[in-house]
Amino acid sequence: MSNRVAVIGVGMTKFMRRAQETPGELAAEAVRMALEDAGLERDDIDAVTLGTAPDAFDGIHMKGEHLIAGAGGVDKPYMRHFIGGATGVMSPIHGWMHVASGKYNTCMVVAEEKMSSCFPHPAGAFVTIFDRVTEQPLELTLIHIFALEMARFMHVYGYSERELAEISAMIKRNALNHPAAQTAVDISADDVLNSPLLSWPVKRFDISPTSDAAVAIILANERIARALKKAPVFIEGVGFRLETAYWCTRDLCYPDYVAMAARDAYAMAGIVDPVRDIDFFEPYDPFDYKALHHLNALLLDKTGRTVRELFESGNLQPEGSHPICPSGGALGVGNPIAATGLMKIAELYFQLSGQAGKRQLQRRLRRGVAQAWGDLMQAGTVVVMGADGASPITSSRWNDMKREDLPGTPIKSVDEVANIADTPDLRYAWDNGFAISTYLDGLKKGKIRGSLDTRTNRMMVPARSFSEIGDLAPVTNYFDIGDTGVVKTFTISHINWDSSPLAKGKVNIFAVIALDGINEDMGLVHKLGDIEPEDVEIGMRVKAVWKLKAKRSGDILDIKYFAPLGEGKIKLDIKQIKPVEMDVLSMAQKLGKIPLSYRYTAGIAGSKFYADLGKGKINGTYCAARDEVVIPPAMFDEETLDMLDPETDAREIDPGSGRIRSFTVVFEDRQGRLLEKEQVVVQVEFPGVAGSVFGLLEGVAGDGVEEGMAVKLAGGGTMDGPDRVVFTLKETPQPVKLKK
Amino acid sequence: MGVAVLGMGICGFTPTSTGLSYREMIAKAAKMAYRDAGVTIDLIDGAVSAEEDFPSGYSIADEYVPDQLGMVRKPVYTIPGDFMHAVASAAMQIETGRFDILVVESYSKASNVLTKDEMTRFAFDPVYNRFGVSPHWLAGLELNSFLMESEYTIEEVAEVVVSNRGAAISSITSPYGDNFTIDDILDARPVALPLTELMVAGYADGAVIAVVGSDEAAKKYARSPAYLAGIGWGSGNSILERRDHSFSAGTAVASRRAYEEASVVSPYEEIDAFFVSDVYAHRQLMHLEALGVHGTQRPVVNPNGGALGGGDLFEATGGARLYEAFTQLRGEAGPCQTAVDRVLVHAWRGIPTDSCVVAILDNERRSS
Repeated sequence: MSNRVAVIGVGMTKFMRRAQETPGELAAEAVRMALEDAGLERDDIDAVTLGTAPDAFDGIHMKGEHLIAGAGGVDKPYMRHFIGGATGVMSPIHGWMHVASGKYNTCMVVAEEKMSSCFPHPAGAFVTIFDRVTEQPLELTLIHIFALEMARFMHVYGYSERELAEISAMIKRNALNHPAAQTAVDISADDVLNSPLLSWPVKRFDISPTSDAAVAIILANERIARALKKAPVFIEGVGFRLETAYWCTRDLCYPDYVAMAARDAYAMAGIVDPVRDIDFFEPYDPFDYKALHHLNALLLDKTGRTVRELFESGNLQPEGSHPICPSGGALGVGNPIAATGLMKIAELYFQLSGQAGKRQLQRRLRRGVAQAWGDLMQAGTVVVMGADGASPITSSRWNDMKREDLPGTPIKSVDEVANIADTPDLRYAWDNGFAISTYLDGLKKGKIRGSLDTRTNRMMVPARSFSEIGDLAPVTNYFDIGDTGVVKTFTISHINWDSSPLAKGKVNIFAVIALDGINEDMGLVHKLGDIEPEDVEIGMRVKAVWKLKAKRSGDILDIKYFAPLGEGKIKLDIKQIKPVEMDVLSMAQKLGKIPLSYRYTAGIAGSKFYADLGKGKINGTYCAARDEVVIPPAMFDEETLDMLDPETDAREIDPGSGRIRSFTVVFEDRQGRLLEKEQVVVQVEFPGVAGSVFGLLEGVAGDGVEEGMAVKLAGGGTMDGPDRVVFTLKETPQPVKLKK
Repeated sequence: MGVAVLGMGICGFTPTSTGLSYREMIAKAAKMAYRDAGVTIDLIDGAVSAEEDFPSGYSIADEYVPDQLGMVRKPVYTIPGDFMHAVASAAMQIETGRFDILVVESYSKASNVLTKDEMTRFAFDPVYNRFGVSPHWLAGLELNSFLMESEYTIEEVAEVVVSNRGAAISSITSPYGDNFTIDDILDARPVALPLTELMVAGYADGAVIAVVGSDEAAKKYARSPAYLAGIGWGSGNSILERRDHSFSAGTAVASRRAYEEASVVSPYEEIDAFFVSDVYAHRQLMHLEALGVHGTQRPVVNPNGGALGGGDLFEATGGARLYEAFTQLRGEAGPCQTAVDRVLVHAWRGIPTDSCVVAILDNERRSS
């Protein structure tokens, strides 16, 4: 039997379009606040789990590793979990596993996102979420797939753009009382409808903003929660489900995966009727329609009638019977992906323990549910929390919290602060494998190819060599199928993959097309052409327009677009073919790359470091808890998670007093190519301080370097990255044999 | 509640794997694991994947997990950690009592990543540590620190390579088996001195799958399970300037917990074989020290050749060690077989991390 798990403390930064803090500094700010909220110290925390969404946002491979110190994970059990946009509600679930299993008594749960590092725009990180062979060449981005889903949702459930705009306005208004809110505003549905059109039906104010922020919560078992005399709010149910990555093979109008996750959570929580048994909802709302789309699933009502009635009767409002997003949601508080989900968990905690201040729902609350969504319209995570007799707290600093009370340093532009630019060269050649090679061979011949899954009686497009829903049964029969079909949903886009506007007057129309003659749910995504945008309709019939044979290369772009077919009869010609031979020529690779650049703020501490280096100085930061000075400068002490001030706690260090602690002589550049001249990287320590500084040692060959040699900081001038941190020997060395 | 490994499957373990997509490779390994575990897909409650985004080339690697495992619409998530982190996460899930059988997956298509050093460099702190030189600089510096602070010599580091790549000659899952001398290793092309090219594991492609479940599930379905006696994980300081580069604190944290759970007091005496991360040769020795196994002792380490012999499989690397340990516990390791009843599997996430996992596995459930 699982241990009961309670939330006993919360911390969060402001939600900001752009923060000066580094990802680690943001995490540390939230963690420190959560520790204080729970009345604990870092030593009281048994384990740490961290949720953060794509590495492509923060611009750090293995981002979870980078965040260890800030999350309080040094010398502790630390693990990151990840499920795309659904991560934030997976975070408490993964923390729940730590405690419910009996493995740990307490667990710090941290969610962080720093989306602003990504250039040209964080939205660009989404171009590489799509299938690299069958979708990425179309240069889709997340707004496109949302728009396709939104159009389908509106078509099936009959919502108008105005009705969805009303949801956006309501949620943004709810955020007016949230202290962390980034985009809280009192606007009308007209304001949403009149905001710039990005990709019909999506307008700017239908979407949540990109954000930087961190949120932390502390979980504990019941014994500790009760002992701390908090008003513990218990995790009563958890659920998480992941759908197929083949997102064109299902109707996007209803998220079955969310409903399944909700059923799991409800079963665990003993909820029979969610409409009756749940008092308020925090569905994930990155787009306004998503709040209702998810609510349909959370209420287990595929007909959508319940939500429609609640919406029309005003009962989704804070004063209604089934309020949604009382926090202000992603639309109003902001959307630093993983941190958003955990903010929603924090809102359940605040509401259920009477700490929501002006947002407090004015009725007795027993249970709330939070949900996140992610991946390719694919992941659902659900948590039910309950007050379980906890007395509402009457005095809590959260009740009166204001934005200025929360940590976080918003900046308008990265140019305002010390920053480092970097463009990684990440290139790939992917093995297509047998089935996709056969599919691409078909495209080169002007044919769309599928493979027949006899277990489930599905013709699968693109061709696959196993049945993903039929016990992984082998699939060996390949067919050329027709190139006509029906538009299931569409969007008229005015933006590029990186959110930059298309040339004036140009639009791209993307559509999910169900192909003729095979299962209705087996579609593909492509562009439409030879049609005016206003003439596109769901249900219209279309046919592929192919490139000339000589120009086809075995690529999804061998289809130029799909064009209207009209009502004329078509002759379906489905013919079994022989798949490609398995040889190194037919198994060619698909080339690809990550097309992003980054500009990293140096953070609160890094700004001090680089400002000093520019003057030829080095400062450490005094940590009172350990009574020592640390270098490089620090905004937090990773041992205690105490906050430090690199300016007021600065202690000057003689830049000429360094000694080589360790070193290496490097013969290759960042890509593994031989350097023309070897370079020495040194770790330099300074007397009386903890820590060290890494830099390049110049003016001496590799075989002239030894541990303990005295070095001094070279130069001053522009300091814009680690390669500018240069040391030289204080004395001319005698050649010595390198230890080898 | 006890947790066991019911069965495992692999595919690939070769420097390149043209002809198989990652999906096809994983599906093959999954079918092998399910059969080995004696389970059908409908008996499996969910999956945990161990993946990072950039090695997969996708911004959200998690999207592409469920299909090739047959886990569509089931509870599935990703641990951006080593395979053994995912095993630990799955074990916790099972210990909540709400899940019975789970599948753990990881894979490498390292041959598909054309700029691997650039990717590794991208894991370094951009403010302080992302130099324009090879990311191996940290391994070279770490090796130097280890030699300065420990009793080990560079020759003993080289001996790790000789031993592991030699052992790998007899292993069908280890493509880098070969006969080297200590001088071959020391005289190899310098990368980040004192680190030479042969002290670094080469890359390999491969998929690893483990089916883990409760002891009850193991008893019911598996022909020859391995029992998890203890598992711990831990991370050293991610601020490199304040990390001791001669010692793996992450391993020490992880082993403390694993030993406590498995009631291990004297690891050298009580554990028959150690499957330890050797992605860099010196790391094998550094990890053993942190595991409480010292230079004067001569434990059985990486009898199948480790990563130096089998290749760096990105996040699947620890899974390869688990597979080797699993086959050893079953007595199915062929020419690499040694006498084992209790083994230790260790995983490390590679530079620039000090994040590690330690697991103790037995061939039968011991009373606690």
